[in-house]
Amino acid sequence: MTTIDTRPADSRRRPQKKPFNWRRTIAWVLLAVAIAVSVLPFYWVLRTALSTNGSLAANSASLLPADFNLGAFKRVFGLQTAEEAIAEGGSGASINFWQYLWNSLLFSSITTAGAVFFSSMAAYAFARLRWKGRDGVFSLFLATMLVPPIFTALPNFLLVKNLGLLNSMLGLVLPYLFMTPFAVFFMRQFFLNMSREVEEAAMLDGARHWRIFFQIVMPNAAAPIATLALLTFMGQWNEYFWPLLVGTSEESRVLTVGLGVFKSQSPQGAPDWSGLMAATLVSATPVLILFALFGKKIVNSIGFNGTK
Amino acid sequence: MTTLTKQPGPGLSAGGPQKSRRRGKPAADFRGTGDLKIALLFIAPAMLGFVLFYLVPTIRGIYLSFTEYSILGDPEWIGTRNYERIAKDPLFWNALGVTSQYVLINIVLQTALALGLAILMHRVAKSTIVRGALLMPYLMANVIAALLWFWMLDYQIGIVNQLIEWTGLPRVAFFGSEQWAIPTQALINTWRHMGYTALLIFAGLQAIPHSVYEAASIDGSKAISTFWRITLPLLRPVLVLVLVVTVIGSFQVFDTVAVTTAGGPVNATRVLQFYIYQRAFNEQDFGYGSALAVILFLILALVAFIQMKSLRGNQSDLD
Amino acid sequence: MNTKKAIGAVAVAAAAALALSACGGGSTGGDSAKGEISYWLWDANQLPAYQQCATDFQKTHPDIKVKITQTGWDDYWGKITNGMAAGTAPDVFTNHLAKYPDFIKTKQLVALDDAVANDKVDLSQYNEGLADLWVGQDGKRYGLPKDWDTVALFYNKKMAADAGLTAEQMASLKWNPQDGGSYEKAIARLTVDKNGKRGDEPGFDKNNVAVYGLGLGGSGGENAGQTEWSFLAASLGWTTTDKNPWGTHYNYDDKRVQDTIAWWASLAQKGYMPKLEATVGANAADSFGAGKAAINSHGSWMIGQYTGYKGIDVGIAPTPQGPEGQRASMFNGLADSIWAGTKKKDAAVKWVEYLASAACQDVVAAKAVVFPAIKGSSDKAAAAFKAKGVDVSAFTQHVKDKTTFMLPITDNAAKVAGIMKPAMDAVVTGKAPASSLSAANEQVNSLFAK
Repeated sequence: MTTIDTRPADSRRRPQKKPFNWRRTIAWVLLAVAIAVSVLPFYWVLRTALSTNGSLAANSASLLPADFNLGAFKRVFGLQTAEEAIAEGGSGASINFWQYLWNSLLFSSITTAGAVFFSSMAAYAFARLRWKGRDGVFSLFLATMLVPPIFTALPNFLLVKNLGLLNSMLGLVLPYLFMTPFAVFFMRQFFLNMSREVEEAAMLDGARHWRIFFQIVMPNAAAPIATLALLTFMGQWNEYFWPLLVGTSEESRVLTVGLGVFKSQSPQGAPDWSGLMAATLVSATPVLILFALFGKKIVNSIGFNGTK
Repeated sequence: MTTLTKQPGPGLSAGGPQKSRRRGKPAADFRGTGDLKIALLFIAPAMLGFVLFYLVPTIRGIYLSFTEYSILGDPEWIGTRNYERIAKDPLFWNALGVTSQYVLINIVLQTALALGLAILMHRVAKSTIVRGALLMPYLMANVIAALLWFWMLDYQIGIVNQLIEWTGLPRVAFFGSEQWAIPTQALINTWRHMGYTALLIFAGLQAIPHSVYEAASIDGSKAISTFWRITLPLLRPVLVLVLVVTVIGSFQVFDTVAVTTAGGPVNATRVLQFYIYQRAFNEQDFGYGSALAVILFLILALVAFIQMKSLRGNQSDLD
Repeated sequence: MNTKKAIGAVAVAAAAALALSACGGGSTGGDSAKGEISYWLWDANQLPAYQQCATDFQKTHPDIKVKITQTGWDDYWGKITNGMAAGTAPDVFTNHLAKYPDFIKTKQLVALDDAVANDKVDLSQYNEGLADLWVGQDGKRYGLPKDWDTVALFYNKKMAADAGLTAEQMASLKWNPQDGGSYEKAIARLTVDKNGKRGDEPGFDKNNVAVYGLGLGGSGGENAGQTEWSFLAASLGWTTTDKNPWGTHYNYDDKRVQDTIAWWASLAQKGYMPKLEATVGANAADSFGAGKAAINSHGSWMIGQYTGYKGIDVGIAPTPQGPEGQRASMFNGLADSIWAGTKKKDAAVKWVEYLASAACQDVVAAKAVVFPAIKGSSDKAAAAFKAKGVDVSAFTQHVKDKTTFMLPITDNAAKVAGIMKPAMDAVVTGKAPASSLSAANEQVNSLFAK
């Protein structure tokens, strides 16, 4: 415990300015372990995806792909006939990859855009406007975060059915389009933190709330909105239960549901592991790309938001 | 399904101080109910979604909890009989116990690991690559992550058990033994959310002004006492957010159990939400399932309330 | 499906508020043999065969279009049930014996008796007993048989040869609940510990087993031990229920089944079979494929899976003979049923009849994935398997010798499974004695008391 005094400065100074520091080394080792635990399973996904499904069981102890083979990826993209797939020990189910990808993109983008936009509007009303019953209504919104999703799944399903929207993109999108409790909560928290000065100046100039919201508040909230949008998009991209209930047709089946064909198809059967893992990689790719493109921005926005 | 509630927001991190700042200011220009009309306009779309897809289904679910309903027939009003049966249902009490166990392990593990990671990131590694690597598990869908681990942790042909054997230790029945089943479920969840939670706490750490640390170092505080006396209290708003969201999310654990152990071995992983699913959808006793869900909702509300109160989540000691 | 008023009102309000017009609209065709019908099945491996059937069918019925949707078993039944509640279930779907009683109870299936009479469907063309399985308690028929399955022993040929067991010996194993007979001897012989000692040799280390003589898939509590122990208990003359189909009393309190389970669970204690806790994870077939088990008892629908493992030479032996010298195998059959909510009943009937005809079942047979229900088609399937190098006589023998017994068909199937699964798990893990099944049995029977 001799380095206490340098501690606060530690986080600001460049590391190369310092001599060897054993605490730093331990810290890096621990961090490396955490990174390994986080990332190594992805190697196993890749290794399995590049294996022949029928050979996996016999080579369970091999760290390299068992019978290296691109068949699993071919299955994901629908380039293999059922007979070929079955011969490799894979799933013979048909899959319309590009259609599902498009559906997933559509589903995730529309719900993200809608939820983020409408939730921001509501959050603004909760954070910045004064009206009777505001806190009560907000508590009610918040309480919905506590409702077990399984509870609302069936009634929502019946509602979408009554609207005649089963197996349509609109029906799929509807429950998420107008708000998610989390998005409202998130944006309200941000708006509470925002400086009022600009708004107040605009208000004195006689600007309306609409104009303030669109021309001042929203542009200033670009960073948290981007963060929220990315989080929402990721959540929607991985959504499974609702699309499974509502999106049965080819036009409304999203990737997570479509790739379910690699799970066991018959009772007591084994999954097509290599197909499933290839599918996992392929379906995670768009999110990975998004993250690679905007990751830095998001991390910055977290910092920006936190230090405010 | 549960991902929604598991997405805590970085935006809250500094919520406390702001609120108090606002409190101090007489809101002269936003007084009374003057904004009601415009507020209604702003809130209308969200309200529509709220009423249609949250409020009405919830009320309907509460109604169904007083009925006998098999989805395919018509609901038949039976008063509080479902609730009376639940009180005497050993599987419900078992589910409650198992779920609590999961929540406890999950919270302690996830919060401790995430806090440690956040401090490490804060002190030594601020690069986006490190953060990106730690965030990767979060990019995998819940169901897929569960299946992946189900396979890697398999007793006979899983790679993890192979590695354990190579080190000379006996194999572990991660999913099969009653002692391990719930901790394993919690470990998978921790794996997926650890980096994400760490990132949130990391943001909170960054929000602590350096002047606070400098003051502490002038006082001659030791590293450990600095952590307990300064860092942790200042992190409170973030930690409260993380805790509340993780606890609520943990109580609703479902997907990982559904695709792996499905309640077994025996009843070791029959967590509440899975039990609800089993009764409502598998055994088509939707009334009973709804009553169980109402109870789960009440538990969650109580837990959230207690947490907010006891941790004073709205205030930070920075003021 | 009755629409709840509240939901209806909200729906109308929502539709108005949204001012969004739902595209299309329900085109409710009349009851004629025309239009598009939907057909669902779960087994992806059978999809190519039925797609072929649909193509052939559409040639002879140009007015009807069949749209096949395949959904994995795990999600299949949930989607069907929700579809029935929402009015979107498929016109025709592959039905399972354990599920259809509930559908009859909730009036979701179309009785096929008139169609069978009018179109003169020959019910005797199916393997014996299959057609009767699909007659409800009301005496009406709710499905036409499509295929069947029995149970046999898949074994690793190389391991058997190494243990000095010939194919003839494997095919003539005998079993009794006291000492397990030659079945247990073979299992013990095939078990090898880490040091290479066999299960029947002195110094065998039961805590460090490399290869188990018998693989374990699960306790079988949820499906009456279909592939695990039912073929043993039944060889003692035990039956799951008082009568079948439509029994109202389960017999898990019978000494014969409890003895069987006790013997079977003892294999795990002896180290000849994995402990139940070791089998939760990748399934029994994969463990076999990994060379961790020498024998697996499993159903005929798994033939493709077992023969698909690279580097493993698989033999198939019939289930062992019981003390009285007879064999037994559970006999399960699938059928195609028509949903009561269909708007194209006539077309659906035509399709179901085609699925149940030799024309389609021969196509299925040729693909060598399952055994079709029609006798002649079954033989063709066996020949097709043979052409692929798989001898399936261990499965067909049961049907020829009439040593099959039917999968128990009762009401409350899901609830029975919900009670029996944890109870049986507890016995197999050694947490509870086999006699504890009597208590579970009482619980099960109380379901039928009301």
